[in-house]
Amino acid sequence: MSAMLLNKEKWPDFVEKLAGKTIWAPQGEEAEMRFAPVTEGEAPALEYGNTRVPPKQAVFPQTETMFRFQLGGEELEIPKLEEEAVLLGVRPCDARSMAIVDNLFSWDENDPYYFKHRELLTLVGLTCTEPGLNCFCTSVGGGPASKEGLDLLMTDLGDQYLLEAITEKGEALLKAAGEVLEDAGDEQIKEKERLTEEAAANIKRNVNPDGIPEGLPGLWEDPLWQRVSASCLGCGTCTYLCPTCHCFDIQDEVEGFSARRCRTWDSCMFNEYTMHTSGHNPRPSRRERTRNRINHKYSYYVDKFDVIACVGCGRCINLCPVNIDIVDILRQVKEAL
Amino acid sequence: MDLDKLRETAAEVAARDDVKYLIGWEKGSYGYRVAPAFAEDADGTADMIFSPLCTANLATYLTLVEKLPLPRGQEPDNRKVALMVKGCDSRAVAQLLVEKGIHRDEVVVIGCPCPGMVDPALLSEKYPETEEIAELKWSDDGFIIVRNGEETAVPREELLAEKCRLCRYPNPVVSDIMLDEPVESWEPAEDEEVTEIEGKEVEGRWDYWQQEFSNCIRCYSCRNVCPLCYCQDCILDRINPSWVFRSVNFSENTAFNIARAFHLAGRCIECGECERVCPANIPLGKINRKLAREVRDKYGFEPGLDPESEPFQASYKPDDPEDFIL
Repeated sequence: MSAMLLNKEKWPDFVEKLAGKTIWAPQGEEAEMRFAPVTEGEAPALEYGNTRVPPKQAVFPQTETMFRFQLGGEELEIPKLEEEAVLLGVRPCDARSMAIVDNLFSWDENDPYYFKHRELLTLVGLTCTEPGLNCFCTSVGGGPASKEGLDLLMTDLGDQYLLEAITEKGEALLKAAGEVLEDAGDEQIKEKERLTEEAAANIKRNVNPDGIPEGLPGLWEDPLWQRVSASCLGCGTCTYLCPTCHCFDIQDEVEGFSARRCRTWDSCMFNEYTMHTSGHNPRPSRRERTRNRINHKYSYYVDKFDVIACVGCGRCINLCPVNIDIVDILRQVKEAL
Repeated sequence: MDLDKLRETAAEVAARDDVKYLIGWEKGSYGYRVAPAFAEDADGTADMIFSPLCTANLATYLTLVEKLPLPRGQEPDNRKVALMVKGCDSRAVAQLLVEKGIHRDEVVVIGCPCPGMVDPALLSEKYPETEEIAELKWSDDGFIIVRNGEETAVPREELLAEKCRLCRYPNPVVSDIMLDEPVESWEPAEDEEVTEIEGKEVEGRWDYWQQEFSNCIRCYSCRNVCPLCYCQDCILDRINPSWVFRSVNFSENTAFNIARAFHLAGRCIECGECERVCPANIPLGKINRKLAREVRDKYGFEPGLDPESEPFQASYKPDDPEDFIL
């Protein structure tokens, strides 16, 4: 796969080469908040830490219409997904989360909605040179320049970006933008490696997950769950802002005679998440729900798909209203083992 | 505040036979974070603090607790819950008492007269958070940030939380034990943010809230953190019938936000927790304060001041104004 250079002055020209695709990027005043389709004439910003809301919404929207129907009718109208999109400046942790979640959505059947979005999406990543306060990607198999899940990786080298194609999609993108690019040499690759190492060294938080996946089942009734969940408010912040959390609910929404079936994000931190019709709830309190969140990421998923379902982006730590800190919980888990 | 005295008092209360556990604040896991702490015995109170970072309103835990079915033959633990409260938090306790959400003999209230909290977002913006645990203290005219043994003095106005600028009740209105002498109240600032929105045309207001509510991700942290959002069966969790759809769009988000705000009219005690916890930075305090202003101006009523009073919505006076009823 090839590596090219893009002079920053030619950034708008490069973006122009993506014409025909919807470009998702952090932009404007809301840049800190989320990735959103770029409005015409506005240059996508790349100088941001990471968005609060992960870009998983590009492949797993918070609300997805599965089909529409009329009450009493027999026709199902299935929305056509055909718009190609580019996620521009996605962080390696978030791209990696998609590679991880692919396992789930292709487990028994390929989820048609998820994979259609995936197929139409090109992921253009940006190497992290300034890790955030609660980043711990290097503890869970990622890194500031991890290529997993990405089609193309950009690295900010000061006046220019280094562009490395990772997949055929990425290669095609480089080809399409060929005229605004120059060939990259070993020097730039080395510089990128230096920046990556520097960034990795700047990651302050860490936990060694060795032994956690195998050990968690034995801690089922450990008092640590009561301790770490005591202050939990039971809100959906940690799960909704998690790039790998993928639980959903399916509901029919009826207005008059028109209806649609849609799938929306769900959260294991909500009381009604596993509530049975009978009123019985197998996870009746925040203790069981917190235990589930950690077990799902660090035990069940590993058991099933051989990968930890946490990319160490730190969002759940940054934004928990009551300082429930997954790194801290994992340390307590290790102590209890 | 004298932390030794705080810990000594907390230890005494937590050790009491009639107290199940005590809820206070502790330093968090990094940076400026402070975490709610639950102590079942005297030992659990050894690290408790009260500082300008103790924004969390612990009164929410009084109603958040899950009452699980007990194994046959097991008696419920009906001992008291002790908690530390600032002025605003104590108003939540008072309002819960008014609504009979809790009973007076179920709680031990430890009052912390409050010189004002910092705005955590403002603090991190001006003095970026690092992984080292930092402390904040009050000085005579502001705050002192203590990090790695170094002290930085910051003027009060620079970091004071908006809700504290507007605060009229810094001293607890309900308490069993007071940890310190009452603080001197300050002249509350004018609520210019609410006035500014009131001054906009209807369309301008609509545009403003459309923008804000569109950002809502429906995590319900505002509802869950609110000490006065404690319905057993919340309208938002209902599926059949579904009053507010799960789908996230401006229409449903607005329905949710309006329902939340209206259910707090005449009840919100302005602790500002909803706004603090919102991951989408929606200025929820403005909505709540607007409703509080209406209730105050129209009815001369303020919630959460007198535990013996009647709830605003359930009381009637022959001279209630009617001039706004069509």
